[in-house]
Amino acid sequence: MGLEEKLPSGILLTNLEKMVNYSRSMSLWPATFGLACCAIEMMATGGPRHDIARFGMEVFRASPRQADLMIVAGRVSNKMAPILRRIYDQMSDPKWVLSMGVCATSGGMFNNYALVQGVDHIVPVDMYVPGCPPRPEMLLDGILKLHEKIRNETFAEQGSK
Amino acid sequence: MVEQRSPDRPDTLVDDDLFVEGADWESVVDAVGDDILTVNMGPQHPSTHGVLRLVLQLDGEVVQQVDPVIGYLHTGIEKSAEYRTWVQGTTFFTRMDYLSPFFNECAFSLGVERLLGIEAPARAQAIRVILMEFNRIASHLVWVATGGMELGAVSVMTYGFREREHILDLFESQTGLRMNHAYIRPGGVAMDVTDDFEERCLALCDLLTEKLGEYEDLLLENPIWNGRLRGVGVITVEDCLRFGVTGPLLRAAGSDWDLRKAQPYCGYEQYDFDVPTDDAGDSFSRFLVRMEEMRQSMRIIRQALERLPDGPIMVDDKRIAWPSQQSLGADGIGNDPAYIQHIMGESMEALINHFKLVTQGFTVPAGQVYQPVESPRGELGYAITSIGTNRPYRVHVREPSFVNLQATNHMCAGQLVADVVAVVASIDPVMGGVDR
Amino acid sequence: MGADLEALRAVIVDAFPSSRGEIAFGELTIHATPEIVHDLLAWARDDERVRCELLADLSGVHWPAGDNEIERQPATTGWPAYRLERDRGVIEVNYILRSLTHNHAFRVSVAVPDDAPRLPTATDLWLTANFHEREVYDFFGVEFTGHPNLTRILMPDDWVGHPHRKDYPLGGVDIPYDNDKFIPSPDTRGLRQVVD
Repeated sequence: MGLEEKLPSGILLTNLEKMVNYSRSMSLWPATFGLACCAIEMMATGGPRHDIARFGMEVFRASPRQADLMIVAGRVSNKMAPILRRIYDQMSDPKWVLSMGVCATSGGMFNNYALVQGVDHIVPVDMYVPGCPPRPEMLLDGILKLHEKIRNETFAEQGSK
Repeated sequence: MVEQRSPDRPDTLVDDDLFVEGADWESVVDAVGDDILTVNMGPQHPSTHGVLRLVLQLDGEVVQQVDPVIGYLHTGIEKSAEYRTWVQGTTFFTRMDYLSPFFNECAFSLGVERLLGIEAPARAQAIRVILMEFNRIASHLVWVATGGMELGAVSVMTYGFREREHILDLFESQTGLRMNHAYIRPGGVAMDVTDDFEERCLALCDLLTEKLGEYEDLLLENPIWNGRLRGVGVITVEDCLRFGVTGPLLRAAGSDWDLRKAQPYCGYEQYDFDVPTDDAGDSFSRFLVRMEEMRQSMRIIRQALERLPDGPIMVDDKRIAWPSQQSLGADGIGNDPAYIQHIMGESMEALINHFKLVTQGFTVPAGQVYQPVESPRGELGYAITSIGTNRPYRVHVREPSFVNLQATNHMCAGQLVADVVAVVASIDPVMGGVDR
Repeated sequence: MGADLEALRAVIVDAFPSSRGEIAFGELTIHATPEIVHDLLAWARDDERVRCELLADLSGVHWPAGDNEIERQPATTGWPAYRLERDRGVIEVNYILRSLTHNHAFRVSVAVPDDAPRLPTATDLWLTANFHEREVYDFFGVEFTGHPNLTRILMPDDWVGHPHRKDYPLGGVDIPYDNDKFIPSPDTRGLRQVVD
């Protein structure tokens, strides 16, 4: 069928978008952004048993400029919210946000004066992981689903965020 | 200093720039000597243990002043708890210092029990002690792990989290959760331990004893670890008391103050254990003290397992005891089928009692108590005020991390920037506890 | 323990006759007035028989005037009904003092009116009072005169109100952040002085 038949073996045809997204999803670099209890589980995810390195994500970047995934791990207080937004703005495009745990997702059990009721009030969120705190397996599941999402995004969608 | 003129503007003297020519180094140092550089560290920084912000005033590499700025994780837990029942309070407080959930639950429960004038049964007390001591080990393991990571020893981090997973497995098998258990309740504990509890604990103790030796092999003689920690962040006992510093920091300075010995709770007076101390008062002695504390915790655990009494795990008083009986089924932890049968099919009164206790909770006599326990970070105190309703009127938590953090400036001043990381790591603040 | 507390109470009330000691739930509470509290604390730190090296805790409780703020719920468990003792519009500040030498602890309780709460600072006695007093100021608005740096500690600097007062609602605070708009940090103050 057309071009493929004429190709020597070992060459695959795809479109650029898929190729780029595939590479991006396979080496997401999360920013070190631990807030509360969930951060401990995030570190456990990076630890030897759960080993996030299996998904090309072991490089937790200390500088947001080098990161393209922000895992908001924990409760976001009103005092922290502007800083969180600033860190998000510092990250280079394209970037994704994963809201880990119920506190980051909706304020959780702390519906009070101190907390922002959901980090999506401040930054656009791509994936929500439930749990208080989510087990490392749940975080990994959320990350894999995010990979899937990234693979199916178009450049136009990524640019419009 | 040699007078320099800019090549493109020969008429103006370049007095802002400093040109160093060998012998005039002294004058250059004098010229920059007045410049205090203010550096902001955090709240998003990989080496500040969470969302701690430190404002450093630097004279070159030397730290003049460290100013901790906190509150970036303020959750309003104390206020939220005023709007929930007493039993729901444990659910809040366990999320406060998330590395030592059992200590928070236990201190709160002990305070409520004092107000109620009850005491948890002996079996519940022993289970509390075992879980708290395992929690102390888990917390110290995270300290070794993150402290090592912050000082560049990444392998220690993977080691620490590896062993911690085993302890969390034990917690999960008994309480259903890895963290934030809400297992210790006013009046006892939520459910009895499983049949293989003793076996699991002993196996875990054996494993940890072996692995702790591994840490010491890795770190004790390690020149970098020694160089980064020895003589760094020294504090004396007198200064500890002035700053209110308790816990491993106070013991590393030389005092043997430990609330488990001084004011025993949960039956700690029955157990034979030592309070490790050191006299250098620097970050390295804190490491030694914490390592020894983990060993002593295992001594306590073994003794508690040996004499784990039979009997109930919750007070007998049906007005207080959490009514639902929980058990481990195929689908995890849930209500015991026999108990469901009892309230749904047999006893209307039991159903009413269950309903009232779960929805309204019990009332607690009016009064004020202050209940301290020895948490992995120091004196964790719950100042509870009740006015005789089914909710706390006010709960204030004396968090050891919050208090210990005040000594940062004292411990860092005059040292190098890199030492700030070592000092903050050795204080081991948990920001969830600091900001509450 | 009980006899020790009785003796301790006698010692303290002897030295400060205007204070009142009360023992409940195995704890000694000394009720003092704002005028004498600083002298009492200084004395408790230095006196040989009391010798409280450690200020273990400092916290506040708000008792608003009237009983409209406190929802009393009917007792379900048969304990006697409780009459609210302190509803006079006060903020009660509790100091927990601990002695390592004598292994005792007691509470010093001071009530200040909640419309103009003011107390002398204890930072000159124990440096640990620094953060504690800032926290009580932040949450209750108690002004500690002589404190070297009395600013908000846990809430943002531009926050309005003192959230742990009983007349402050639990939630209902608008979320002041828009989705796509960058908001600069409210934390624009200069460096603060830490006591040392």
